Amino acid sequence: MAGSGSAHLRAPEEVLLRVEDLVVEFPAGRGRRVHAVSGVSFDVARGETLGIVGESGCGKSTAARALMQLPAPLGGSIRLDGVELTGLRGETLRRTRRRLQMIFQDPISSLNPRRRVRDIVAEGPRVWGTGEDRVDEMLEAVGLDPATASDRRPHEFSGGQCQRISIARALVLDPEVVICDEPVSALDVSVQAQILSLLEELKKRYGLTLVFIAHDLAVVKNISDRVLVMYLGKTCELASGDTLVRRPAHPYTRALLASVPRSGLDLPPADRLISGEPPSPVTPPSGCRFRTRCPAAAPRCAAEEPLMRRIGPDQWVACHHPQAPTQQGPPVS
Amino acid sequence: MPRRLGWGFWISAAWIALVLGAALAADLLPLPRYDETLVGPPQAGPSLAHPFGTDGLGRDVLSRVVYGARVSLGVGVGAVLLGLLVGAPLGVLAGYRGRATDSVIMAFNDIALAFPSLVFALAVVAFAGASLTNVLIVLGVLGVPAWTRLIRGATLSFAGREFVIAARALGARDRRILLREITPNVAVPAASYAFIGMAIAVVAEGSLAFLGLSVQAPTPTWGGLINEGRAVMDNAPFVVLAPSLVMFLTVLSFNVVGDRLRALTDVRQSGLEPGRRAPALAPAAGSRTTVVERAGDALLQVRDLRTHFVTGRGVVRAVDGVSFTLERGRTLAVVGESGSGKTVLIRSVLGLLPGAGVLRDGEVLLEGRDLTTLPPKELRGVLGTRLATVFQDPMTALNPVRTVGTQVMEPLRVHLGMKRRQARAAAAELLSSVGIPEPARVLRRYPHQLSGGMRQRVTIAMALSCGPDVLFADEPTTALDVTIQDQVLRLIHRQRQEHDMAMVLVSHDLAVVAQWADEVLVMYAGRVVERGPAEALFERTRMPYTEALLRAVPRLADPAHQPLRLLGGRPPDLANPPSGCAFSPRCPYARERCGTEAPPLAEAETPGHLYACWYPELVGREREIDREIDTEGVDTRGR
Amino acid sequence: MILLRLVRLLVVLLVVTFLSYVLLNLLPGDPTTQILGLSASEEARAQLRAELSLDQPLTVRYLGWLGGLVTGDLGTSYITSVPVAEALAERLPVTLELLVAAQLIALGLAVPVGVAAARRAGRTLDQVLTTLSFGLLSTPVFVLGVVLILIFAVKLQVLPATGWTPISLDLGWNLTSVLLPAVTLGCGQMAVYARLLRTDLIATLQEDYITLARARGLSPRRILWRHALRPSAISLVTAVGLNLGALIGGTVIIETLFGLPGVGRLIVDSIFSRDYLTVQGGVVLISVGYVLVNFAVDLVYAAVDPRIRHA
Ligand SMILES: Nc1ncnc2c1ncn2[C@@H]1O[C@H](COP(=O)(O)OP(=O)(O)OP(=O)(O)O)[C@@H](O)[C@H]1O
Ligand code: SF4
Ligand code: SF4
Ligand SMILES: [Mg+2]
Repeated sequence: MAGSGSAHLRAPEEVLLRVEDLVVEFPAGRGRRVHAVSGVSFDVARGETLGIVGESGCGKSTAARALMQLPAPLGGSIRLDGVELTGLRGETLRRTRRRLQMIFQDPISSLNPRRRVRDIVAEGPRVWGTGEDRVDEMLEAVGLDPATASDRRPHEFSGGQCQRISIARALVLDPEVVICDEPVSALDVSVQAQILSLLEELKKRYGLTLVFIAHDLAVVKNISDRVLVMYLGKTCELASGDTLVRRPAHPYTRALLASVPRSGLDLPPADRLISGEPPSPVTPPSGCRFRTRCPAAAPRCAAEEPLMRRIGPDQWVACHHPQAPTQQGPPVS
Repeated sequence: MPRRLGWGFWISAAWIALVLGAALAADLLPLPRYDETLVGPPQAGPSLAHPFGTDGLGRDVLSRVVYGARVSLGVGVGAVLLGLLVGAPLGVLAGYRGRATDSVIMAFNDIALAFPSLVFALAVVAFAGASLTNVLIVLGVLGVPAWTRLIRGATLSFAGREFVIAARALGARDRRILLREITPNVAVPAASYAFIGMAIAVVAEGSLAFLGLSVQAPTPTWGGLINEGRAVMDNAPFVVLAPSLVMFLTVLSFNVVGDRLRALTDVRQSGLEPGRRAPALAPAAGSRTTVVERAGDALLQVRDLRTHFVTGRGVVRAVDGVSFTLERGRTLAVVGESGSGKTVLIRSVLGLLPGAGVLRDGEVLLEGRDLTTLPPKELRGVLGTRLATVFQDPMTALNPVRTVGTQVMEPLRVHLGMKRRQARAAAAELLSSVGIPEPARVLRRYPHQLSGGMRQRVTIAMALSCGPDVLFADEPTTALDVTIQDQVLRLIHRQRQEHDMAMVLVSHDLAVVAQWADEVLVMYAGRVVERGPAEALFERTRMPYTEALLRAVPRLADPAHQPLRLLGGRPPDLANPPSGCAFSPRCPYARERCGTEAPPLAEAETPGHLYACWYPELVGREREIDREIDTEGVDTRGR
Repeated sequence: MILLRLVRLLVVLLVVTFLSYVLLNLLPGDPTTQILGLSASEEARAQLRAELSLDQPLTVRYLGWLGGLVTGDLGTSYITSVPVAEALAERLPVTLELLVAAQLIALGLAVPVGVAAARRAGRTLDQVLTTLSFGLLSTPVFVLGVVLILIFAVKLQVLPATGWTPISLDLGWNLTSVLLPAVTLGCGQMAVYARLLRTDLIATLQEDYITLARARGLSPRRILWRHALRPSAISLVTAVGLNLGALIGGTVIIETLFGLPGVGRLIVDSIFSRDYLTVQGGVVLISVGYVLVNFAVDLVYAAVDPRIRHA
């Protein structure tokens, strides 16, 4: 089964989390299946932040949950520090899973409305019997006053504060990898900036490794060391944020960038780079899944799936006809 | 909490307590025994000695009703407990485990529901003997399917929530998750249904007793009393009415308590008619504009619009004195954070606010005619033809049960009086003008068969159908993907140009605003804090809040990990706004005066560029001042 | 799809009939005692058992009974010697008329009441209607029946308290005799339906597409009836199906209270006389009715909501 290739993966011993050829499908009735994630590979080194960007339905959140084995993926391998997670069951899974933690998009439904903030954050230590001394420290670290916040319930907090509580809950067990699934999408710009800064600070302080998922390229770029672009369950391009913005090679990356209003980038108008709407993941196109909207699509694109290949020192792309770099110097700011 | 339950709840609870107490303490009360005959003359009316009168055998009806409550309430409580004990675990299991477990449990449930329950209860009680235990068990068991169904539904709605996933990620076992995360949330609907279930059980027991199939005489039960009373209905109606009334009140009380408990999680109310005009609160002192609005022949002019909501927390000043002028062919963007009053502003201009609890004031002039004073029918004429609206979420903007065609054709037929065939042709043309392929086919489809982008195109087509003069677009692309967002914004912009309309574009995305707007209006806490031509406002910002908004967004062109300028705190509570400048608690430049006196709108160098700030000259010099912002939990990351 | 549902429906019916057959037979009480009296000798009983094939295992008897069911033969009552199917067929029209009349009254009143209340949600009319329907909902049918008889038959003497005139005899008298029972039965249902419709309508009226319809200058009346009613009808349709169980329970009471010769009465009488076969027949009849109505409800769903049609 051809995935989108794994040429962009680093040597296993260099990375903390290594995902190879991940496949997740859901039943869609009448014997059909939603091909949510089809052969996606990526890796994250210790202390690194990997950004994953893509439009709704491209499988970002599904991939994130598959990492946690919630639910377990259909195929592929997920290695955390050399330990294979897929196929783990029962107690071992429970023990290993706590090393990965997650932060969700919706600040409201991320927190149990009937529990107090202290109970929410202390849940992890209580499950593992590790003592609750870190709870206050975490609340403080995310910028909440333990004395006043502890006894209140989530509905008494704003969206941004709820995200802070979620972050405290995720960090209290001292996880190795934190998966942030659109953590700022539901927030106002000013609060979004607060949460982004908080994540950067906590990352430094606790040496975290982050997988940061969002649909907003500017946000992902701001926080990430490397950015992976996904489309309809496949990988398109992997590069450092700066390279991706300065020299986007995949037609879809270019379309995404051009769709951002007032980006200050030198790209043709978006309507010349992309047309139409994403196809259904139940019946994805053959070959390259982007070909139905790609202005550069050629017969080969329908027949053969492009694999990730290296086109620059820190840039990999899955396309038969990657675009020439559009701009050499740094962008005007 | 008690306030929201309402007095009906407390009266009902008191009645239940009274009946329950009387039933428990019946032996201690100064009542004749229920089976003691001829304590008074037979069939005597209510009197002091016998408040409910006496029956055909001269027994005291009150006493019989009180003792009857033992059976009725006993069965009610017992049956509910039994149903709960069996049904709740099954429901939780089905809802949490899902898949095969769920299918099996629910299949059994369907079968159980197909059993004619009362008939079955009758048969079982008749054949197995009419004793309290039998009645209780039968009614309890018959209640199980309903419990299972209810608890399963509640569990299901929580089992998929992120907090359950988070608990599993923390390593909590299923048992702990069920106990700590699911149960507390299912408890409220369960408590509510417990009371409704008691009402059902009391009535069911009554029905059995009425047919003579509950606990046997001489033990009185309410249903039995009513059945006996029928015989003497002509001469002594109170014998049948007393137990009827008590039973009715008890069932009613159970229902009320259950209903109020459920309402704790209910939606708020709405109305269809425009609200009656009630003057809004007076403007806060010192907030008057110093700039006089150009009066005259503008297309749309809004003057000092104020919309306040009366809520439990006090009066919420959602829109508090907003004015603007809009000319044909221009796009005015309204920006601001969530809750700043953008949506309420649009809806007040269009008169689309909920009916009750709304205070409105101010003028909305469409070519000089004040819309706020128009009678509803005339307002509808204007709304349909001259003002058009597009909302944020295309998923909820179309009626799910009507075809796209019916919906697009409706305004054409209602307002332009077109015939069906003519309207269909016009609708197809409209759809193709907004870039929908195969319009004739799309007209026959239902909204759920279209993608989000397509649906938004349909709503735009509908908005344009009667050739409006002003298009109001409230975050028209926020719910769409970036690439689709660009397509839709282009489309709206092109339509605005082609039809020479004016447009009010609400957005929280400054980049969108910068690209598409001619003029910008920045809202904060229900007020205009800065307004003017887009270029002047972005290039020569005069108001600290606008500046903060601009700086808080990460930009693509900036290098990765570029620190963001932080705006601490959060928007004020509109029911209780800070004194002076509403932005002062978060403003990096705030001085003493800001906390006491609200700045008026003043004009900047560029004509038409207005701002509300005492110290506009400081804007842009934050780096120099460089003071720490005192906030609710903002980090102090070094730059 | 429909085929699958029909199969499911058959399975449900099989299980229901089997369970009820077994349960009714397991219950204490001996038909031979009912027929021969307490004093009969053991031999006589044994002989009778053999005659009625009561000595055979339960499953064999059930299969025999099921075989009969397919040909429309529900057995012959041990007690009255009347074929069960015949007895039921004779009583069925009365119950059906009662059910239909009650359902018509309930729905006919519930829709306008629910719409009126939702339209003025929170205002006086709504509060009055809501309170009234809450009261009706909390009144047990036999209490309501007794009170109505007291008013209309005993005090005003305008309607008969008991008795039944078949349609075939006289339409006018038939309607008079069904009026009070049907109102009694329908009132509670009316309240249930009206409340459901009101709640759903209020939720629907908060939807964006309703606000947008207002923004398009459509009149409140048009919005209510053409835009809001159909998306709000799902719970109502479900309730009509599910409530059938409650309604049938109600007919047992009503038929007893008003002395109507319906299926409910027949079942109650049979229960008292330990006439298993008739009770069993009644249970089957009711279950079949329930299952069929809910099958129809599923079809109505699809008509009401295209999202279900295309799912
Ligand atoms: N019917 C209502 N009753 C009481 N308060 C209301 C009502 N509708 C809106 N509000 C309040 O009015 C204020 C302004 O709300 P509004 O929806 O206009 O903000 P917004 O700027 O559109 O926000 P968003 O960006 O989230 O759409 C909020 O505080 C809101 O809670
Ligand atoms: S492989 Fe072909 S269709 Fe796919 S992105 Fe590249 S050029 Fe476009
Ligand atoms: S008036 Fe004062 S507090 Fe308000 S924005 Fe200006 S400087 Fe800041
Ligand atoms: Mg809004």
